[in-house]
Amino acid sequence: MKIKYLAVGCALVAATMSNANADRLVIKGSDTLGAKLVPQLAEQFKAQHSGTTFDIAAEGSTTGIAAIIDGTAEIGMSSRRAKTSEVGAAAAKGKHMKPTIVAYDGIAVIVNSANPIKGLTKKQVEQIFTGDVTDWSAVGGSGGKISIYTRNTSSGTYSDFKELAMKKRDYAGGSQKMAGNEQIAAEVGKNPNGVGYVGMAYTKAGGVKVMPIDGVALSIKTVQGHTYSYWRPTFYYTNGEPSGLAKEFLDFTIGPGGQKIVGQVGFVPIK
Amino acid sequence: MFRKKLTFAAIAFCFAFTGIAARAQDAGALLDLLVRKKVISDQEAEEVRAELTKEAASTAAGKWKLSTPINEIELYGDTRMRYEYRGGRTASNDPTNPNDWYERHRERYRLRIGLRGTLADDWFFGVRLETSTNPRSTNVTFGDDSSVNGPFSKDSDRISVGQAYLGYKGFPDFTLTAGRMPNPLVTTPLLWDDDINPEGLAQQWKHTFNVTLGGGGGAAAVQSYGKEGYSKEGKAVVAPPAEPSKLKIDVFANFAQFVYDDENPENPIGPARTTDTNGFTQKVPTTDAFLLAWQVGARFTFPKNIYVQLAPTLYNYTGTGDSFNTYFQGDSLDTNQNGINSLLVLDIPVEIGWRIGELPMRVFGDFATNLEADGRAKAAGHPDHDGQRYAYEIGLGVGQLKAKKDWEIRAWWQHTEQYAVDPNLVDSDIYDSRVNMEGVAVKAGYALADAIIFNLTWAYGWRANGNLGTGGVGDIPINPLDQYQIFQADLNVKF
Repeated sequence: MKIKYLAVGCALVAATMSNANADRLVIKGSDTLGAKLVPQLAEQFKAQHSGTTFDIAAEGSTTGIAAIIDGTAEIGMSSRRAKTSEVGAAAAKGKHMKPTIVAYDGIAVIVNSANPIKGLTKKQVEQIFTGDVTDWSAVGGSGGKISIYTRNTSSGTYSDFKELAMKKRDYAGGSQKMAGNEQIAAEVGKNPNGVGYVGMAYTKAGGVKVMPIDGVALSIKTVQGHTYSYWRPTFYYTNGEPSGLAKEFLDFTIGPGGQKIVGQVGFVPIK
Repeated sequence: MFRKKLTFAAIAFCFAFTGIAARAQDAGALLDLLVRKKVISDQEAEEVRAELTKEAASTAAGKWKLSTPINEIELYGDTRMRYEYRGGRTASNDPTNPNDWYERHRERYRLRIGLRGTLADDWFFGVRLETSTNPRSTNVTFGDDSSVNGPFSKDSDRISVGQAYLGYKGFPDFTLTAGRMPNPLVTTPLLWDDDINPEGLAQQWKHTFNVTLGGGGGAAAVQSYGKEGYSKEGKAVVAPPAEPSKLKIDVFANFAQFVYDDENPENPIGPARTTDTNGFTQKVPTTDAFLLAWQVGARFTFPKNIYVQLAPTLYNYTGTGDSFNTYFQGDSLDTNQNGINSLLVLDIPVEIGWRIGELPMRVFGDFATNLEADGRAKAAGHPDHDGQRYAYEIGLGVGQLKAKKDWEIRAWWQHTEQYAVDPNLVDSDIYDSRVNMEGVAVKAGYALADAIIFNLTWAYGWRANGNLGTGGVGDIPINPLDQYQIFQADLNVKF
């Protein structure tokens, strides 16, 4: 009799776990996407799909891609493309890294709102972030030692900015690495000599202003038209074609409802 | 979907013949163009890009992972098979074996394999592994270790670090290098064996002036600030031919501070010794020994592939060190052969090149004098030979070895006096690492393939001054070396 009860109990537990897994979506990766956009998308999605739960960890694009390779997430958020080495590692484990563009982003170069400088060239941006120039007077400012704030090395924005703005050169030795966009915006907002970069969704922070680059202002139009220099696509990575809940959430993200939220949060819709 | 497949197929086809791994990243520009032309969407471009990246990752090159700071890396090296005859004759007044020949026949090989590359922010590096521990030879003799551990033992087939250096090229026209490096100086075998990789620091500067001749208004000089890659042997003077009707002037300056000999310890317990381990008198050692070099030169490249290059250099030896901290004598095997006292050498290598039709020709020469030879002669016990201070070579080269079926012949006369140069650096083949020798050398080569060179070398020499020994330590255990002959047949493979 005891064995019979045990078997029934195990079956119930298994059924419960199976049901729970079916309605739970694990998403890991980019802080740029995961801090604001994806949680809001998840909230809206949950409102339409009762019983669905999300497990969202935003610790950098590298962690999102690694999660797909390791099979610890259904969706990997990334603000950069997967590297050849990552794609190779995935293939070695029988995984196929499939990217889906979910939004565009413009990387904004921000300075303190008290800084008199009105714009920067691409060359000046490279010089500032590589440490070739260390004083604001060298780029048309009123003087003062430049304080550089960057993301940390696991961030997709960190590597994207190196590629887009710095010709892949190293950041200046004295640059301060911050955990997220919000921290960078906060530090630049407090420091009159601060400069940093953030995703487009974080440009509304107090005390900062966005620099036009080569005379082109950061806007939805210039990012969609790819005329702003530091634009980039942002991705959901999946293991091959997504299925189940992951597919539903991905379709929702790139659908009209999701893209409306994309725009509201401060990213640029793909259409 | 059809457009994506078509795009992928087209790009893959384009790269099929150039290596998809190497070209996958290049697809980005093409995909961006297709997106801008609205042929495909951003999403389709990303999917194609992902497919190409996956293809690249599956190739051998894609599996080779390089650390992020590396911008570019090159695997290179060479192997050589050699037959060598080397013989030396004792003097006619040798007390036990007058006019007797000491001879060696050797079959040898060498291997050198290296990696060199550029890093982010204008840094570069290089490492090279080489057979043999001898600084002036990378050769291993077949069968020479059989008495130790049996036939085909690997006792002598060991790998040493030949080069390990890093450098910086961030300042226009400058190259700064530290470590165990390819010789940064323009040299000839008269002073330097080309197997030697000196250790220390080097600063190289090179600037190119292009001068347009004619036009009635005098010469107009145009400065060129273009960066050039780190040349294969680390020299900053190799220049491509100038365009017709223009004079190209490569001005260069190479400075080096080589750590010649480490003194250990600089400050011992108790009094510092005054003799070395062989009992030879030495200076009181207190510091490391350094070889300092200052070289300033220029290469003038005229129209029609005519060029003139000269590179005056001053070598100064400072400090004491320990292993070479004895007074050079060089007279017999019982006396010191490698002391570096009283050496302040002025060296002037010169080369003039031109073409007869398509045939490259060049006259090359080198002149060196030790400005402190009188002190060196006096310390050696020969104050009456303080004029033995000169070394020179002059030769003619015809042809070149750049591609399959190329050939080259060089012949030169070489004369080195006993106190003229450092016997620890001179070429180990032509005259067996010795000074106070003179004679003729001929070298001929033929390129069996672009990377396969067959070389024959022959040299014959004799003692230059019959009243002195032939200083230096070579493969022939005779001093004075009254006559010397060498023949080498080499098959070189470069990769």
